[in-house]
Amino acid sequence: MLHALLAIIATLIHIALIFGLAPLLIGIVTKARARLLGRTGPPFLQPYRDLAKLLRKTALIPDTATQFYKIWPFITLSATAVTALLVPSFSFGLITAPLSDFITLIGLFATARGATMLAGLETGFGFGGAGAARDALFSLFTEAALLVLVLTFVLIAHSPTVDGIGTQFRDGHIGLSVSLGFALAAMLCVALTETGRIPVDNPAGHLELGMVHEAMLLEYSGRYLAMFHYAAALRLIIWVSLISAIFLPFGLANSADILSWPGGLILWGLKLIIGAFALAAFEVATAKMRVFRVPEFLGVALLLGILSSVFLFVATKLGGS
Amino acid sequence: MVCYIRVVNQYLALSIGLPGHGLHLAYDPLALLFLAILTPQIIATALGPDRKSVAYWLFVAGMVLAVLAAEAFPLLLGFELMSAASWLLVLRGDRKPATLYAGVAMFSGACILPALFLPPGGIAFTLILLGAGAKAGLAPLHAWLPRAHPAPSAGVSALMSGGMVKVALYILIRYGFIVMGGAAQPWWGTALIIAGAASVLIGSLRAMLEVELKTILACSTVEHVGLIAVGLGIALRAKALGDPSLAALALQGALLCAIAHGLFKPLLFLGAGAVKHATSTTSLDWLGGLIRGMPKLGGLMLAGCFGMAALPLGPGFAPEFLLLHAVINAANTGEIISRIGFTALLAILGLAAALALGAAVRIIGIGFLGRPRSLRAAAAEEADRPVLFGMGLLAVLCVPVALFPGMILLFLNPVINQLIPDAEQPPLGYAPAPLALLLLLAAGASYAILKRYGTKAEREVHAFNGGFGKPPAWLPFGDPITQATGTGFAEPVQRALGRAILGPKTIDPGELYVLDPLRRLNVQFTRAAERVRRATIRQRLAFVFMALVLFLAALGFVQGT
Repeated sequence: MLHALLAIIATLIHIALIFGLAPLLIGIVTKARARLLGRTGPPFLQPYRDLAKLLRKTALIPDTATQFYKIWPFITLSATAVTALLVPSFSFGLITAPLSDFITLIGLFATARGATMLAGLETGFGFGGAGAARDALFSLFTEAALLVLVLTFVLIAHSPTVDGIGTQFRDGHIGLSVSLGFALAAMLCVALTETGRIPVDNPAGHLELGMVHEAMLLEYSGRYLAMFHYAAALRLIIWVSLISAIFLPFGLANSADILSWPGGLILWGLKLIIGAFALAAFEVATAKMRVFRVPEFLGVALLLGILSSVFLFVATKLGGS
Repeated sequence: MVCYIRVVNQYLALSIGLPGHGLHLAYDPLALLFLAILTPQIIATALGPDRKSVAYWLFVAGMVLAVLAAEAFPLLLGFELMSAASWLLVLRGDRKPATLYAGVAMFSGACILPALFLPPGGIAFTLILLGAGAKAGLAPLHAWLPRAHPAPSAGVSALMSGGMVKVALYILIRYGFIVMGGAAQPWWGTALIIAGAASVLIGSLRAMLEVELKTILACSTVEHVGLIAVGLGIALRAKALGDPSLAALALQGALLCAIAHGLFKPLLFLGAGAVKHATSTTSLDWLGGLIRGMPKLGGLMLAGCFGMAALPLGPGFAPEFLLLHAVINAANTGEIISRIGFTALLAILGLAAALALGAAVRIIGIGFLGRPRSLRAAAAEEADRPVLFGMGLLAVLCVPVALFPGMILLFLNPVINQLIPDAEQPPLGYAPAPLALLLLLAAGASYAILKRYGTKAEREVHAFNGGFGKPPAWLPFGDPITQATGTGFAEPVQRALGRAILGPKTIDPGELYVLDPLRRLNVQFTRAAERVRRATIRQRLAFVFMALVLFLAALGFVQGT
């Protein structure tokens, strides 16, 4: 009973933090990037101001939009929000933990992506269609790579849920292995693609021909654009939390043990900041790829994912005999 | 004619004809399951204009007879009746694929007929796999399906894609698991998995690249048949290797996939028929913006595409989830080669899932959203009420499969116990009902926040379109060619993946390596026959004389030894 109550409280803190901090993380990345480039950059809280401003602006509905124009942002945001509820942040053992099967997570990402692609095709103009077509192309490789990674995780942790995988990796003395190294590299490639960062896509880009995610939102404005932007912010914090929960699970709290919460919270905050700075440094150091180089980049991710499970098979074979 | 009911092997049986010499029909859980899969689509398609045709009812009768057959003869009778009637229906739609279809139907009949009377074993299973696989559209014998299934009217297409392929898979299940279950070998499952994986890959890729709506749906059927075959193959292999819980998991996925596909695919085919009726084309490159004129049809098609894309909370996700977990479990143990194989299979399934999403987005986004690409698309009117009613029925039936797959799995328990006697069903790790609740909460919360903190102001303006100006008055929807077409939307995928798998000309490997050689062989045989027919009297006499000499020589040789 007490455990359930604690889990509920932990989940509520998780909800408050992950939904509250999502725009801040974007702010940190933007600021860090600007500083690394020698600019002052916008203040950390700029994304909140942008969202508030968009909420207050009149929404301009294109005359070629259909009845479904207003539904896609809701689907994208809700599916991303449900994903945010399932991914552990500062603590394992949230009440949503049993639902957090990795394959469900992949499906929810796909739902959000599908709704955004339809939003791009909605008004029937070239840039949205091109963005959606490119997103469809990238998603092929990210989904395949993610599924192969799920295999590696499930084989090591014997649990299909993100919560179980993270708990196993924290407590199970997994140690460093070649297989997990490959898996981390593949996961990072997938995360960069899914969150639409350089080298795959540029969130700060202004050239329509090179945009992917932003191109699909060109016809959206006002509060509907705010929903898409907020969903993108959520996606970034989800991916940083997901990667840190799987690959850097040390220090994550248990929901049943209230004394471990402060440590978990501080470490999660630190991991988010480190993740944001690492992302900013990587983005400054690399150039955006041409669209048709991206399948090669993601093909490498898929290959690394397959290699990570193959190494695991070889290791168990050698260990077993 | 006598008709009586008796109990055979615990299940009720019905015999028609003389005692001991009649048609024996029986129903057991497996037959009932497939009857349950067939019923909604038969009702939904019978609401349309097809119900006036005799061939349609013969087709339905053939399917039902094949499923209810208790022995080889009625099974074959039903199967052939189904093939012949559907051939007539295809012929009525389009002459060219009808010949191809008749050839494939004869091939599968010719494979299944001897297999039914052979002793259980490898040869019999191979023949069943070839015959049922060809009928179901399993690679490499799938190339006929995307040609023949779109040819007849919408209702028949729906029934062929949703029902007929299931009957072929039913025969595969019946013989692979029950009749020949004792003699099962692991390689049977492996063969089925490989054929299934190839179908999944080719089917989903072609579904993404094709332009005709009905062809897209037929290619997606190839993909789903492949998914079901992968599940059946894993189950067959695990059963032969003595792992009943994995077999049960894979079988759950395969059967649930058959149920879900039997609901959303006929729905989509009926919708494609309505689109054809309204615009006289099904080519995505001539459609666009249909949802304005046909909002109800658009909503139903969206529901169907939601299932086809295997997204969470849709009917297609639970089977996909079970199948992926079955593959992960299968990769958990065994020889290193098979484990690497299952890893590759997982990558293929991931690729196919993303391609299915792309194909579904393409149907809705290009066909129903955006601006009209032709005047007919702009003037499309809502579909007829019976069609909408049939589609609505199928969509409503999708809801329990989508939201309560655990309950459907309970109904599947007897079937799984019948196919794998000592199986214990693993619990389902995917709970859509709480997920749906969370999703509703999230949507409600975002709506409330928008209402509380946002303005409600809205203004209709000309689309931004990268800064281009308003189109002239004589182009009410702007220039149609300035929006992405079906071909254009698929171009990146074609460039990155299509060329590698289908070649630069996008020719299906099943066509290139199976149908084309057969066609060439056909031409050669025809030429040879023609040469014999045109022979002069002297050549014919010489031929007869040579045959006589050879015969006598052979006779003498045999006598001599």
